[in-house]
Amino acid sequence: MATIGLLVVLPLIAAAALFFIKKDSLRTPVVIGFAALIMLACVWLAIGHLTGTMEFYPLKSQLITYATLVIDVILGVYVFVKGIKHGVPFASVLAGIQTAIVVVFELTVAHGVNIDNDIYVDSLSVMMAMIIGFVGSGICIYALGYMRVFQEQHKDQPDRRHIFFSIFFLFLSAMFALVFSNNLAWLFCAWEVTTVCSFVLIGYTRTEEAIQNSFRQIVMNMLCGLAFAIALVYLGAAGILELDKLINLGAIGLAAFPIALLAFAGLTKAAQIPFQSWLLGAMVAPTPTSALLHSSTMVKAGVFLLAKLSPAFGWNFNGMMVMLIGGLTFLICAFIAISQSNAKRVLAYSTVSNLGLICACAGVGTPEAMWAAIFLLIFHAVAKSLLFLCVGTAEHHIGSRDIEAMDNLFVRMPTIARFMALGMLTMFIAPFGMLVSKWATIVSIADTGNIVLMLILAFGSAATFMFWAKWLGKVLAVAQHSADLEKGVSKSEWFAIGLMAFMVLFCSVAFPFISESVVVPYLAQFEQFVFPGLLPAWQTISATLGFDNLLIMAIIVLAILASFAVFFGRSKKRIVPIYMAGVGVDSEKRSYRNSLSGVSESSQRNWYLEDWFGEKALLPISNIMGIVVLVVGIALAYINLGGGALL
Amino acid sequence: MTAISFILALVGFGLVAPIIGCLLAGLDRKITARLQGRVGPPLLQPYYDVRKLLAKENVSVNRFQDFYIAMSLFLAILAGVMFFAGGNFLLVVFLITLSTLFLIVAAYSSRSPFAEIGAEREIIQVMSYEPLVILMTIAYFLAVRTFDVGAVFGLSQPIIVSLPLVFIAFLFVLTIKLRKSPFDLSYSHHAHQELVKGITTEMSGKTLAMVEVTHWYENVLFMSWVGLFFVWGSWIGILVAVIVALTIYFLEILIDSNFARVKWQAMLKWSWLVTLVFCTINIVVLIMVS
Repeated sequence: MATIGLLVVLPLIAAAALFFIKKDSLRTPVVIGFAALIMLACVWLAIGHLTGTMEFYPLKSQLITYATLVIDVILGVYVFVKGIKHGVPFASVLAGIQTAIVVVFELTVAHGVNIDNDIYVDSLSVMMAMIIGFVGSGICIYALGYMRVFQEQHKDQPDRRHIFFSIFFLFLSAMFALVFSNNLAWLFCAWEVTTVCSFVLIGYTRTEEAIQNSFRQIVMNMLCGLAFAIALVYLGAAGILELDKLINLGAIGLAAFPIALLAFAGLTKAAQIPFQSWLLGAMVAPTPTSALLHSSTMVKAGVFLLAKLSPAFGWNFNGMMVMLIGGLTFLICAFIAISQSNAKRVLAYSTVSNLGLICACAGVGTPEAMWAAIFLLIFHAVAKSLLFLCVGTAEHHIGSRDIEAMDNLFVRMPTIARFMALGMLTMFIAPFGMLVSKWATIVSIADTGNIVLMLILAFGSAATFMFWAKWLGKVLAVAQHSADLEKGVSKSEWFAIGLMAFMVLFCSVAFPFISESVVVPYLAQFEQFVFPGLLPAWQTISATLGFDNLLIMAIIVLAILASFAVFFGRSKKRIVPIYMAGVGVDSEKRSYRNSLSGVSESSQRNWYLEDWFGEKALLPISNIMGIVVLVVGIALAYINLGGGALL
Repeated sequence: MTAISFILALVGFGLVAPIIGCLLAGLDRKITARLQGRVGPPLLQPYYDVRKLLAKENVSVNRFQDFYIAMSLFLAILAGVMFFAGGNFLLVVFLITLSTLFLIVAAYSSRSPFAEIGAEREIIQVMSYEPLVILMTIAYFLAVRTFDVGAVFGLSQPIIVSLPLVFIAFLFVLTIKLRKSPFDLSYSHHAHQELVKGITTEMSGKTLAMVEVTHWYENVLFMSWVGLFFVWGSWIGILVAVIVALTIYFLEILIDSNFARVKWQAMLKWSWLVTLVFCTINIVVLIMVS
């Protein structure tokens, strides 16, 4: 209990301190110190609670409730003012409505609702805390080195790094609060803090594009906040303001409509179709911001909420809505990622796509699907942060974030290229984590007999292979003579990248044990999953995926790593130039002497198949489909509320 | 899958598959030659080719390529062993995909424009057949209620009875997997339609020999997937499976000899369309019946 408080307060203190520290020499030890403290606190929490059952704490603190109200109002006013200032009145209107609803609600309805437990801790929230603590703080450390270079490259802009780091830690604090709140009003407050934090971070560079994109983000996420607020009002009227009680109600009868609204909020935050554009727009921000938004915060808050609500989904309208939106997003965004040559946009589309898969799993709502969702979430967090950090560092040293410019990175930045390859392998190929999780997804979907999701999964996985494999190929290409550009990468960047790589490997190898000792027991405690006549959750999971198969995967990972360590690059063969239709001149430029004794240069770009998988071809239709599914889904949930008297 | 079945499969598949694969490749060249009105090379020509490749001087374009190819070979063998040990079908599929990825990376690593085009085409090929392969495993699960390959021996009737359309769709993409025209975009045995030497342009000597042997292993594995549809709890099943697999192999040679390579657009479009239509109908019917 005290550890949870510590996890929320520690980053808060760091945020406050960093806001006033403008000297780089002082900032470095403070950031590193607090990051280390947060990681320690996470480990401490994990030791106590990782394998334990769900525990609740009745805090019953009026003080915190009022504090959340004050924070809500401050956030509302902040967005309102910003909206007026930058000429986006729609954002102001949304902020105004939302704040008004929350204030009225808190002062009237919520006051009368009895709340048994404000705070809880279970294995899922501990795992989330580990992700936030390790990945999030790791990115903070990375940002030290990255932002120094960034500032040097943007000398014309005032040094606003103190705000940057302050917001980073505030973000972490809000995320910790989010994963431990059982009181929905508190959860809402943390939810809104993360929205506004990413708003500030996306607009950090203050270029026109950045500001425009930050407002796109805030408008979409204020919409989701509004949905959340309306859900609060409905639930408050029914006297339920606790997450666990809500989940136990299930998604039928009274709870159908508020759960649909919360699902909508989660989907928006997780940047699902038709709201994916805010996360794509967020790519204008400095890379640590992208890494943070994609791996451990913001979008993960969205899928976390959906994963929590997962037992209430399944074969009901809400479950269908989440399943369809997630599936559609997984498929379409994997297609679009093929057509992108900007590395950060590929990463963004891949994130959205993977989050879609997690949402679809949450929507399916069976124990196997939840198992898959949790592992997809874990592996996505560690692998994606590794990839973002590598791309960010590479960008600073090769001067481009284009995939074509990463050709031959293997020789120019050997260590970065190897880590990048590790990240990519983890993202899309067995026996590494993401794909094993996808395996579980396949199993769970095969079990439910949902043909639509089966097709989506099959075609989406094929597309995923395409866009990763061609990028991986470019990065691993070897020119015989190239300059080493890796010198000058800062220690903080190396540390963070190393930390992420370690976590990727650790999770891949410890996978079966994490499953057996943490995730399966977590799933086994849900009563919804034990149907009369059927096996309880943990047995069905073991039966379909099997501990032995997971173990085989882990062993193959180890075998592959060992062979890389022993044999990779040890070939004793005589090295000869490649065939170029003429004598080679420069291996890096791939130039050769042509038949007229001149020098020709050959160039070879990857395929991006724009006509087939471009944004223009796919986005309009899929956005319309997404909107239709959401509108129909929420409408059905509403009708269910009006006519249904199941409670 | 037990430890004993794993060891038996390791010895069995590891030693016997390359022999069968080699003979199949020889048969392929012989029949193709006869179809073209030639005498053709001796049956063991593929073996002589590989033996000669092994004797060539050890040169390479970089220090990493032969490692990737060795991994590709190792994983193809592992996939086959898992299959014949009666292991998880999806695991087998994933391993063979990883094996192909290593081949792609090996081609990319050379940084040859010709090999890169080959690699790019190989990726498109994977993208073309992967949906079917995944759906086929799901269909297998729906028919047998487990992903374990060994479970077919406990069936009262072969799965072809419940999965006829999936089988037809599989035959369609099998042409891609066996690297046969019209879908041999990345790497063809017909020199006249090849861009230098496709994905293997920069591979020579032992490295190229390994690619060939990998191909033997793969072919045996894929033909066993054909057989999987025809096996049930009786020894006759194995006989039927072998006969059907040989017939299908002959059919593939016929197709190979009668078609020219198509563009990737046609390959992608047709294989996805066939997968989508045939698998959807078959799986929906299967779910409705059960």
